[in-house]
Amino acid sequence: MANNEFYVAQGRGYDRQTAFFEKDSPVTTALVPYLAPLALLLCAALGFWHPGQRPARTVLAAEVGGVIAIVTALVAVTLLILHGPSTASLLPGLSVRLDVISAVMLCLVSFVGWVVLRYAASYVDGEARQGAFMGWMCAALAAVMLLVAAGHLVQLVLAWIATSLCLHQLLLFYPDRVQARRAAHKKLVTSGLSNLVIIAAALVLWRGFGSGDIATILEGARSGAAPTAAAWAAGLIALAAVLKSAQFPTHGWLTEVMETPTPVSALLHAGVINAGGFLMIRFADVMLTAPGVLAVLVMLGGFTAIFAGMVMLTQSAVKTSLAWSTVAQMGFMVLQCGLALFPLALLHIVAHSLYKAHAFLASGGAVEAVAAVRRPGLVAVPSGAKVGQAFLAAIGIYALMTLGFGAATGFDLKSPQAIALGAILIFGVAYLIAQGLAGAAPKALTRATVIYALAASLGYFALQAAVEALTASTLPATPAPGPLEWALIVLAVLSFGLVAVAQALFPLWAHHPAAAGLRVHLTNGLYANAVFDRLLGGWSTSRKS
Amino acid sequence: MMIHHPDFDLTPSAALLNAANAAARAIPPLFPLASSVAVNPYLGQTGDTLAMTAARLGRIAGTPVTQPRDWYLARIVDGRISDDDLGAALAASPEANRPLSLAALKAAAREMASQQQALPSVAQLAAEASGIDWPAVVNDRFSAWAAGHFDRGQALWTTAPGTSAYSAWRSFAAHDLTPEIAGLSGFAAFVAAAPATAAGTLAMATSRLGLSDAALDTAFHASLMSLGGWSQYARYDLWQAELAGGTDSAVTDLLVIRLLWDVALLSQYNDRIGADWAAVVAAHAEPLLPSPDQVIDVILQEASERAAQRAMATAFATPAPAAPQSRPALQAAFCIDVRSEVFRRALESADPGIQTIGFAGFFGVFVEHHPFASDVAERRLPVLLNPTVRSCALSPDAGAEDAARIAARAKRAWGRFKLAAVSSFAFVEATGPIYAGKLVRDALGLGPSHLPHDPAPRLSPGLDAAQKLASAEMVLRAKSMTDGFARIVLLAGHGANVTNNPHASALHCGACGGYSGEVNARLLAALLNDPEVRQGLLTRGITIPDDTLFVAGLHDTTTDDVLIYADDTPSPAHARDLADVSRWLTAAGLIARGERALRLPRAKGASDIAVRSRNWAEVRPEWGLAGCRAFVAAPRHRTGAQNLGGRAFLHSYDWQQDKDFGVLELILTAPVVVASWISLQYFGSTVAPAAFGGGNKLLHNVTGGIGVVEGNGGLLRTGLPWQSVHDGANLVHEPLRLSVIVEAPQDAINAILARHDGVKALFDNRWLHLFTLDDAGQMQGRYVGGLNWA
Repeated sequence: MANNEFYVAQGRGYDRQTAFFEKDSPVTTALVPYLAPLALLLCAALGFWHPGQRPARTVLAAEVGGVIAIVTALVAVTLLILHGPSTASLLPGLSVRLDVISAVMLCLVSFVGWVVLRYAASYVDGEARQGAFMGWMCAALAAVMLLVAAGHLVQLVLAWIATSLCLHQLLLFYPDRVQARRAAHKKLVTSGLSNLVIIAAALVLWRGFGSGDIATILEGARSGAAPTAAAWAAGLIALAAVLKSAQFPTHGWLTEVMETPTPVSALLHAGVINAGGFLMIRFADVMLTAPGVLAVLVMLGGFTAIFAGMVMLTQSAVKTSLAWSTVAQMGFMVLQCGLALFPLALLHIVAHSLYKAHAFLASGGAVEAVAAVRRPGLVAVPSGAKVGQAFLAAIGIYALMTLGFGAATGFDLKSPQAIALGAILIFGVAYLIAQGLAGAAPKALTRATVIYALAASLGYFALQAAVEALTASTLPATPAPGPLEWALIVLAVLSFGLVAVAQALFPLWAHHPAAAGLRVHLTNGLYANAVFDRLLGGWSTSRKS
Repeated sequence: MMIHHPDFDLTPSAALLNAANAAARAIPPLFPLASSVAVNPYLGQTGDTLAMTAARLGRIAGTPVTQPRDWYLARIVDGRISDDDLGAALAASPEANRPLSLAALKAAAREMASQQQALPSVAQLAAEASGIDWPAVVNDRFSAWAAGHFDRGQALWTTAPGTSAYSAWRSFAAHDLTPEIAGLSGFAAFVAAAPATAAGTLAMATSRLGLSDAALDTAFHASLMSLGGWSQYARYDLWQAELAGGTDSAVTDLLVIRLLWDVALLSQYNDRIGADWAAVVAAHAEPLLPSPDQVIDVILQEASERAAQRAMATAFATPAPAAPQSRPALQAAFCIDVRSEVFRRALESADPGIQTIGFAGFFGVFVEHHPFASDVAERRLPVLLNPTVRSCALSPDAGAEDAARIAARAKRAWGRFKLAAVSSFAFVEATGPIYAGKLVRDALGLGPSHLPHDPAPRLSPGLDAAQKLASAEMVLRAKSMTDGFARIVLLAGHGANVTNNPHASALHCGACGGYSGEVNARLLAALLNDPEVRQGLLTRGITIPDDTLFVAGLHDTTTDDVLIYADDTPSPAHARDLADVSRWLTAAGLIARGERALRLPRAKGASDIAVRSRNWAEVRPEWGLAGCRAFVAAPRHRTGAQNLGGRAFLHSYDWQQDKDFGVLELILTAPVVVASWISLQYFGSTVAPAAFGGGNKLLHNVTGGIGVVEGNGGLLRTGLPWQSVHDGANLVHEPLRLSVIVEAPQDAINAILARHDGVKALFDNRWLHLFTLDDAGQMQGRYVGGLNWA
């Protein structure tokens, strides 16, 4: 932690002025973001008032609440554009921090929230505890919105704890289900730990920087005040985030919480699970003071991403497979935070949430999706040579994109971390091209996959450029890597590259007898969950009653 | 603890193999959800009565076969079940330990029945002894393997294909460390040391468990039943293999696997549970006998059915209007499916000249079909039978198929890109924001419709003139359609139109193997429009006027719209007729939707119905066949005056035209059997949702592309989801065994039953009730078993 000076903020487009000293918007309008949680809490109250079957008014109110939340988020965006970032205080300890991060998160959460509440209106119709369900959904959404808009540590911590409590109620929507209780218990232990850790982090920050105001803390961290407290806080924040975002080996609860209606899974995987990543992005300036912590995040996130991505390949139940995918995607996001690529982590949160919310809500289509896969006949297997060609083509696309975007932005050099991340993603694109080259693929198929590959690469680099431009004044730039960082970058690129090649050659080895054991161990998530169950007495018959 | 395998005689006895095979046949097949059909959950028990089945299922799984007592009591109290019904049901009961009097029966109805507890398994005994939930661990571990083994394409990394279930499981379990972590020490090594063949392990396990020959029947059945839908899915593999003339060992393999778990658990806990298990084995060896409570429950069930039959008899007592004599304005043939009854009644009310016909929805076309640009062969015919013809959907534009195939393969490559280990990160970062648009589209129900719009199907290879003529004549005679053809004859298959629904195929046409029925209808329409066929039919005494046009259609049972495939045989001369048909169908759809809206929650009127088909969150898009209670084989005018409420299968049948009763034989052995599967599936899903129901839709997790599990995983669920039989407040399906009502001479029926033991057993053991209509159309004779009538 002493090698803080190693990190030289590159200062590209990073303007502290706009970030923190603009509070000239009228305080009353800056409090607008509170309207969304307020509306949702009223809906929640209505839900608890009539907790039973078919509460027509609650069902309608919840969707209206979702629409109000979206409108509120859009108003907040407008205010941000008009007046710049600000912190507005409602009560001591309760304040709204309006900047690009909170604005993006408010838009995301309110949008997903509306979709989920509208879905639940049909889906949960006729359930005996329908009103209570809508109530807890609204309450959970309100808590997430308070969390992402928090300008003060007190609100942040309270909202953090409230999300896990609301979620616990939703996970136990069918309290008679033994499996639901087993999963909820695991979740409670993990999130309970994360609650304790975030309280500790808040105390360290408050004590170190002498204020609970998040903007003040970030400014202090940036100016190098209280480096020891900042480093300790970074460690605690990272720990809280790791526990909240289901990183190895604490991922077990996330892959088992399909014991509750689908809209809860969508909300969890598209809203609540992001709290960990959001926390690290929110305190990016604090995180940068602790390179050691970031290094651990790179290793843990990278491992979780690869591990969970492999486990996902073996999962035959659609929701379980999606849950493992979330573990992997959260690992990738943690990796991005560890590489100090905070804007990309924010992009990842948004992109993943939208995808995963849709994937869960549409998971009933899995029967048709599997049937559709079988219709065009057998899947052709690419040879080693074809895979090699595909990787060369992908690297060619990468070079093309880098040159193209470089020309557009005046060859403003990217950080080595960002270049490495781009390489990892292009390995994925290679897999797409490899399929288009497999067997005796017709030219039209090769052409189609190359077009897909180009479109995916273009989409990725365009989004990356956009989010970097958007957050340039809010999030710190990625520091130049030191020897440790270089080592980690090389390790990450090599391991993802290795897995990508293995994946492309997959059909050639997956059914080899020597791989049978590996498949079994991966199917079981390397037993982290079995051990967790054993420690918590998850299979105890006393849990049945 | 090390578990050794002492030397055993590894050759199972014939009695042992027979018992294992019998247990396999006690299990009904579960069809994969891509093309699922209703299956009678009591398929293996149709040789027994309901009371005997109660005794069996009670012993092996604690599963009831009837409703709770208070269900019947409420009906007795409010008069829906009369004393006459109770008395008749009591008198008809063949059980020796039935109540002695009506008063005793009524008194018993007021008492809570003791619910029979299943005999415990070794795993349950071990759980009580150890405090570790072994049944849950076994289910979890077994399902973790089975989901991968039976996966049809959900996971990218499946188990090695082409291995038997037993050796695949053995390879899995020999590597799996979870049982050890949970507390079963040495399990992986124990499995690795088990005999390499399932038969050898069967002999070893039976001996180690101390199962006597007399105990095998229910002990084996209990083991397979404890695996839920997994053993039923394995039974489906056997079903398909036998249909193709082969065989399959998956079910007995699963039995062996389940027994091996018990052997391991018994070894570990033998000192504490050995004696208890010996007592359980002895109890399995006892003969099955229904308890007095089970006998009473079955009598009460029969009384509730007699009450419903009384209501039906009253309806049939209403004088029927004479059949119309003049040429009909439209003849429209629909599937016998109970949903057609609502629509047919609505359509007939649109114009007095409209005549409707009921026939099994595959329209006698036993076809295996390749959809447009697809390699998958779809068996669009009743699952009891093999296809006799093949067809494919070919576009007149030769390039269209190639383009569609390339598009499908590119889409599949994209799908794998989305899911694979490293590329999934690239996928999310590059395309995640696109899903904002998809979320809006689906949240507002703006997605595309799911109605089939393939090019017209063509038989491939085609039939020669003689085959075509034979097929056409067979179908027309089976429908009792030999003269009086209208200018337009509509052949309407049916299919559901739902979104994001894993059970979509269960709402399609059961007679078409769980697919929608338009392919069969289009093939038949093309056949009957063929001039060569029409010429040939003249020689067989069937005159189809030159101005008669057969038109295929698809009745969308979710929205009650009918899609017409008029372009299959373009006929400008019929443009005005088709415009009339379209107008009548629109009017009928409105009436039918209005009637259905009364039964559906969150539907205030006809206009609320269509949106349900596009709502991705809708768990009750339509009621399917819920409420089915009767099967009528008679001319339409016998039922034409009645509102049967969408609860009756209506098969058009005129026995006076059926010279040698060949058509009647077909009806009793095919559509009636299919209807019994449907009716008993609803029955089982209602009275025993835990064992025979599909579980809670809100928790469904589609597994392997073949079925659903609830929540995280575990046993595959089978049967109808709770939301398909219950509206949240009340059951929408009253569990009644189907009443089959046939207008035909009793002698003719007896002769057919005497030739078909399986069908006779259904009626003798009262899985179905059988009645005849007299010449005036009144419900008259009741079949009482053994070819006797009352």
